[in-house]
Amino acid sequence: MYNFVGRSFPRHDGFAKASGLAEFTFDIEVPGMLYGRILKSPYAFARVGRIDTSSAEALGAVALTPDDVPDKLFNPRLLSVEEDTYKDWRVLAKVPRYVGEPIAAVAAPTEDTAQRALEALRVEFEEIYDPILDPFKATSPTARPIHERILRGGRWVEVRNNIAAELRYSEGYLETEEERSSVVVERKFHVPRRYHTQLEPKGAVCKLEPDGTLVVWTTTQTIHNTKILISQVYGIPMNRIDVRKVPLGGGFGSSIHTNLVTLIAVGLCLKSRKPVKLVLTREEDMVHDHVSFEFYMRVRAGATKDGSITFGELENVIDVGAHQVQAYPILGTSLGWFISLYKWRAVRYYGRSVYTNKVPSCAIRGYGAPEITWAVETVVDELAEELKIDPLEFRLANYRGKGEIFWGQGPTVKSVIRSDGVPELMARGSELIGWKRRESPKVKTGRFRRGIGVGRGFHTSGAGGPLSGAIIDYTGAIVKVNEDGSVDYITALQDHGGGTLDAHAKIIAEELKIPPSRVRIVWSGTSTTVYDVCTHASRGVFAGGEAARRAALEVKKKVLEYASRILDAVSPEALRIEYDRELDDAAIFVEGAPDKRITLSEVARTAWQRNWGSISASVSYRATVAPPSFTVYFVEVEVDTETGVVRPIKVVAGADVGTVISPELAAGQIHGGFAIGWSWAVGDEVSYLENGVPAHRMSLADYKLPTSMDLPSDDDFVVVFASTYEPYGPFGAKGLGEAASNPVIAAVANAIYNAIGVRLYEIPMTPERILRAIKGGD
Amino acid sequence: MLSINAFNTYRIPQQLKYFKPGNLQEALEILESVEGAKVIAGGTDLVVDLKYRRVEARALVDISRLSELRFIKLGDGYVEIGSAATIREIAESGVVKEKLPLLAEAAESLGSWQIRNLATVGGNLCTASPAADTAPPLLAYDAELELVSSRGVRIVPLGKFFTGPKKTVIERAEILRSVRVPLTPRTYGWCFIKLRRTSFDIAKVSVAVLLRVEGGFVADVRIALGSVAPTPVRARSAEKLAIGLKFEDAVRVASERVAGDISPIDDARSTAWYRLQTSKVLVKDAMWRAYERFLGAGAWR
Amino acid sequence: MEMRIRFRLNGVVTEVDIEPHETLLNVLRDKLKVKSVKYGCGIGECGSCTVLLDGDPVVSCLVMAAKVDGSEVATPDYIAQTELGKAIVDSMLEEGAVQCGYCIPGFLVTIYAALARGIRDVDEMRKAMVGNICRCTGYVNIVRAVKKTLKRIGSQTPRNAVERPFR
Repeated sequence: MYNFVGRSFPRHDGFAKASGLAEFTFDIEVPGMLYGRILKSPYAFARVGRIDTSSAEALGAVALTPDDVPDKLFNPRLLSVEEDTYKDWRVLAKVPRYVGEPIAAVAAPTEDTAQRALEALRVEFEEIYDPILDPFKATSPTARPIHERILRGGRWVEVRNNIAAELRYSEGYLETEEERSSVVVERKFHVPRRYHTQLEPKGAVCKLEPDGTLVVWTTTQTIHNTKILISQVYGIPMNRIDVRKVPLGGGFGSSIHTNLVTLIAVGLCLKSRKPVKLVLTREEDMVHDHVSFEFYMRVRAGATKDGSITFGELENVIDVGAHQVQAYPILGTSLGWFISLYKWRAVRYYGRSVYTNKVPSCAIRGYGAPEITWAVETVVDELAEELKIDPLEFRLANYRGKGEIFWGQGPTVKSVIRSDGVPELMARGSELIGWKRRESPKVKTGRFRRGIGVGRGFHTSGAGGPLSGAIIDYTGAIVKVNEDGSVDYITALQDHGGGTLDAHAKIIAEELKIPPSRVRIVWSGTSTTVYDVCTHASRGVFAGGEAARRAALEVKKKVLEYASRILDAVSPEALRIEYDRELDDAAIFVEGAPDKRITLSEVARTAWQRNWGSISASVSYRATVAPPSFTVYFVEVEVDTETGVVRPIKVVAGADVGTVISPELAAGQIHGGFAIGWSWAVGDEVSYLENGVPAHRMSLADYKLPTSMDLPSDDDFVVVFASTYEPYGPFGAKGLGEAASNPVIAAVANAIYNAIGVRLYEIPMTPERILRAIKGGD
Repeated sequence: MLSINAFNTYRIPQQLKYFKPGNLQEALEILESVEGAKVIAGGTDLVVDLKYRRVEARALVDISRLSELRFIKLGDGYVEIGSAATIREIAESGVVKEKLPLLAEAAESLGSWQIRNLATVGGNLCTASPAADTAPPLLAYDAELELVSSRGVRIVPLGKFFTGPKKTVIERAEILRSVRVPLTPRTYGWCFIKLRRTSFDIAKVSVAVLLRVEGGFVADVRIALGSVAPTPVRARSAEKLAIGLKFEDAVRVASERVAGDISPIDDARSTAWYRLQTSKVLVKDAMWRAYERFLGAGAWR
Repeated sequence: MEMRIRFRLNGVVTEVDIEPHETLLNVLRDKLKVKSVKYGCGIGECGSCTVLLDGDPVVSCLVMAAKVDGSEVATPDYIAQTELGKAIVDSMLEEGAVQCGYCIPGFLVTIYAALARGIRDVDEMRKAMVGNICRCTGYVNIVRAVKKTLKRIGSQTPRNAVERPFR
């Protein structure tokens, strides 16, 4: 049906990446550059007095202190509209609020000098306070305020009881629905802070052009928001900042906002008037820069005897750490995921984001959905078990599917579900995993016990919608046909690695009927691209791909118009376009007239030679819907009941992503989504000592990621794509990245329960916790 | 201010001198005369410690390329392994595989391939981590260490080498020359197993077992464990009680009694409780596997 | 306190002045500008900085630069140009094994070394790769690329272009 969509092509940056020749931020060098290092607070909560920089400067270093940077509050994540943006960050802190918060920085001609200069900085601490680490103690009226007041947009707001944000919501008659229920299950869940472990540590390289333009290369999922934030903080006009796009060594949410390191590098560059490279070491990145949100959830839900869900209640306390990245939006999306999972007839929600003296939390793949999905899918499994209904049937009867409202990313992003592959994925997945052989844990004996679990989830495709709402979400694309018919595709949209831009190239190729290899993906910057909000919310293919398609469509119109002049057709509508396999080019032709046929390359050359002008288009695009991509995962595990060790046996991962643009890359997203979800389920955790220092978790030696031997082998990993078509997506495609990881914890948890007959309500489900659960906590 | 601002895992944040002595004698002389000099072999522990400033050094004495220290030799009644032999060389050595299969099994499971190509048995022992993978097998084999200094040579049984976490009897100007493993004339079954968080990790618990059974009764059993005490340890009391029992009973008794030989703690990798529980399981599993191997005559002579 | 080392880098005899506290990773990236060797953790845990040292894969972040004097070192950018390296890279691209691309040069080195040593068993290959950490792929497509390379090279044992020490 399609020439290129749905077929495999090697990704454009594949050789560069595999050979290591691709330049990441860490690899960029500018002649004459200085190397920066950051002075991190050793205290979780303190007040800085005098900073003596003289010894550092005597070594030849430039020192940057809070007095050298604008005293301006900001939020590193520019996503919400200005009046809903909560600002409590500074570039350098006089009151550090977590261990590792940057207090000062140095830059020197060599890295060794920079390190020595860093150690030569002398900081007096006027006061050192007891850190507040527990989000429940933090809200006590006697707790010391971590922030007294912060900015909301341009307005000061008081912070009460260290509550960063709150959200309450209810609909329907909960009490009535509860009375109607034959079963009610209530459970508490805990999800710890986790580290993203993107393989490339964060960093930035900056330089000033002779005309004063600031050029920045940095680890970011959004070059335009980085440009805007630098402009806001340092008061530089936006056309004097060019944030260049460089490959990103993994995101997972860690660079969804502008990294603080970027703003510090800019400060050093502006002060020294020299190029500066500032990259974090791994331990700085993992211990002192960012982690995920921590969730304390309480879920209560009911169902009637005949298996219909009645009500759902969610209490959601989130520890956001010392600063807000998105303390308020995460409460809204949590509610959105919760509401959109099942057809609750009544809902009650209370969400609270709390400040603590810990590293700030930012989004991690799924943005709350993996956590909420785990809690809900656990309770749903328990409801089904109590009602003695098959968990698959129970889900199919109660989930929100076609025709229902989907909440996307919270109350202001709603759309009707138009494509839904859940029934198909349930049917095919259960067949492939052998659901029928699944037995009750009660009948299992022996040391090694196997269990099968299911988890169903979804993610939004972007944060678009029919109304403007509280969230900014639009993108853009430039498509340009060169004078020989080759095509340049220029976009600000970043690819974290999933192959988003290759999907775009294929979409453009499909629209123009030229081979994807003819479309060059141009690495560009904010000066030469139009605005894109960010690669987040699994919007890359859905929103960015549609922008690319629309730009290609405009280009196609011009091509047809010029071709019609050349071929002497009555109008461009009289022409057809197809991929000519022999010529490996697009052919434009008049049906039934063999002599009226011309290639796209010839059209481009003619337009140039006859002075008709460039064939190009620049498009800005806002998606008016945010359709869900559904995922249904079946997982089989084996538990060693004497050691608590869990091992994956088989995974059947079903995904409804509409049209699959790049099969092997889409499958790669699913494999990777499972891998990170498995890691969250059984391993990932950042915990803290009483002084606010992360406990035992100083490096990758103690924050262990699964290896090739710890995850299912390729023979035991089956990917199933649903045969759906999303009417609003480019060639019917939806998003994928986050949907791929959202139901994993749930599926693994349900499988572990099915193996051992005991449920754990805290992740990671380590062998230690599993063994304790089996032994009944002796 | 030291602490977190003093770490740097990209570049070692310490100024060092680097010596590459041509022979052992020269290495000893440098070690003796240069203040703050540390011996470096594979570097897989030391370089990390230098980056984290857990070790402060002024100079490094690289012994990794000294042929005097890099050998595996089959002698009359013993195998001798030079301290700079890499873990990879040990894991792949025909002599080790045939004569010391328990050590080969442990070496093969240490770290990653990239680490095994660098790390040495000398480094693994001298770092004296309670979790050192080569220690339990070598304890089970009753290995002896030859320590040399400019003052001479001394032989220390491995069981007396470790004095605490990261502590040994080795003196500042001493170098571990070799590990000498006596061979016993009889056939033993063997097994090394460990629990870890991922397939590339330091052990939470490791167990090494050598076992000889005669007529269904345990004629000899040696059990050593890692990561469950301040040093790698032999489970002497469990061994003593197990010897002479019917194999199945010996497994039960050793598995129960091993608790008395260990003193696990909570740390980054696991908890004391878990280590205690799983030490029992691992002793049982390792004894069974060793028994199977013993019966299968894939034996150590 | 500089010292001079001489070694063969990607087949070319190379002399460079180093600081004694520098690691091979530092010297390759910062002195010799070989940026295909990536820094991921600096403590040997992630494998992004894997290179061949006398034919064996090692983590260059834990190798003191002074130690490689007289050795042979090969880095991913060079390995990608060898016959076997090309076969691996092509397979990686066909199987979608490359995502963010930060860890993958390290995988290339390890896979190359394993195949050059004659390892043909897929589980052995998976074991050989435990020192290379990837957060993007779940390793599935990387293992598929290994399988495809095995098919490509058939029964032949490719020559390891970087085997012998250089003295």
